[in-house]
Amino acid sequence: MSALAECLVAFVFGSVVGLLVQRSRFCNTAALRDAMLFKTFRNTKALLVAMMILTIGFTAFISIGAGNPMRFDVGVNQILGLFLFGTGMVLAGACTVSTWVKAGEGNFGAIWALIFTFVGMFLFSLIWSYIYWPPAPSAMTGELSVERLQFGFSNAETLQEKTGIPAIFFGIIQAAVLYGLYRAIKRREAASAATS
Amino acid sequence: MELFRKTLDPVIALSAIAVLDIFLFLIVGAWTVGGGETMMTGLIAQFFLGDTIDRIPFWHEVFKPDAGYWKIYISLGMLFGAIVGAVASKEFFWRFPKRLSEWVMITVGGLLMGIGIRLAFVCNVSTFFGLTPELNLGGYLAISGILAGAWFGSLIYKRVLEGG
Repeated sequence: MSALAECLVAFVFGSVVGLLVQRSRFCNTAALRDAMLFKTFRNTKALLVAMMILTIGFTAFISIGAGNPMRFDVGVNQILGLFLFGTGMVLAGACTVSTWVKAGEGNFGAIWALIFTFVGMFLFSLIWSYIYWPPAPSAMTGELSVERLQFGFSNAETLQEKTGIPAIFFGIIQAAVLYGLYRAIKRREAASAATS
Repeated sequence: MELFRKTLDPVIALSAIAVLDIFLFLIVGAWTVGGGETMMTGLIAQFFLGDTIDRIPFWHEVFKPDAGYWKIYISLGMLFGAIVGAVASKEFFWRFPKRLSEWVMITVGGLLMGIGIRLAFVCNVSTFFGLTPELNLGGYLAISGILAGAWFGSLIYKRVLEGG
């Protein structure tokens, strides 16, 4: 596929996502923050359902060698980075999706958050150019590296290769765990509705 | 049109997005936002700094600015789709944070999101809608980080709400 066609596909996908997120008021920040602070799960349930569908879909296609999974080494930087991100999204009141969607609704706070996300990225590019960590893609080995705090690369493909068991099997287990969480939320909601 | 008169159930919206994301995964790769935002940062920096950007190793060893990077257009598409949805449902209007504390939280929050995405190589979207459904180890590491971060952020948020 040409680069132009890839950009076009991405734009069409993004447009539908922007429309659906705007009309549904879905927010990833609210999915986590509201569950923790207010014990409300409107967005959390939607997130879990999407993850169940994606887990089955991705692992089914990975089982037959189709799809384009992300490939890069992971390590302590994912924990630290998403800790900073998670703190930041609650403070900003928006995640990467809702900043774009709220900006499209005329919310200047979201535009401001987006500007400072870019500033944060540029600041990190300066820090990275000094510390060279986490490793650049060209320096990734796919193996465990204690001194670089990297665990290597592992996903549904590697699980299938190492065990000989189709990736969809592991996908079904993960989807079942996600469904268990979804059911627990539904039961909690039913119990609180019955008592109120 | 019904879609623009009533709020859509987020479970239905996210289910539809998940199905589309599977198609995107087959064509180019799973839905992500942080990569496109990083490339936009590089392009903006290149616009302002010119050739000076070549002296910052990150911008040629990790992300070489390229306007033809497909992930940029997911974000631009989301903005376009949201404008269409907001205008068609008469929900578009300019609104600004009112209190100084809101401006401060949004500024600090934006900075932390930007630094966090680049440190982790992933954002919340690739964590929940890409890596984890691909059973990538990075997805589970990222989820543990984002849950701890959201909990910590919620403590600060609650304190500011109570103080305000």
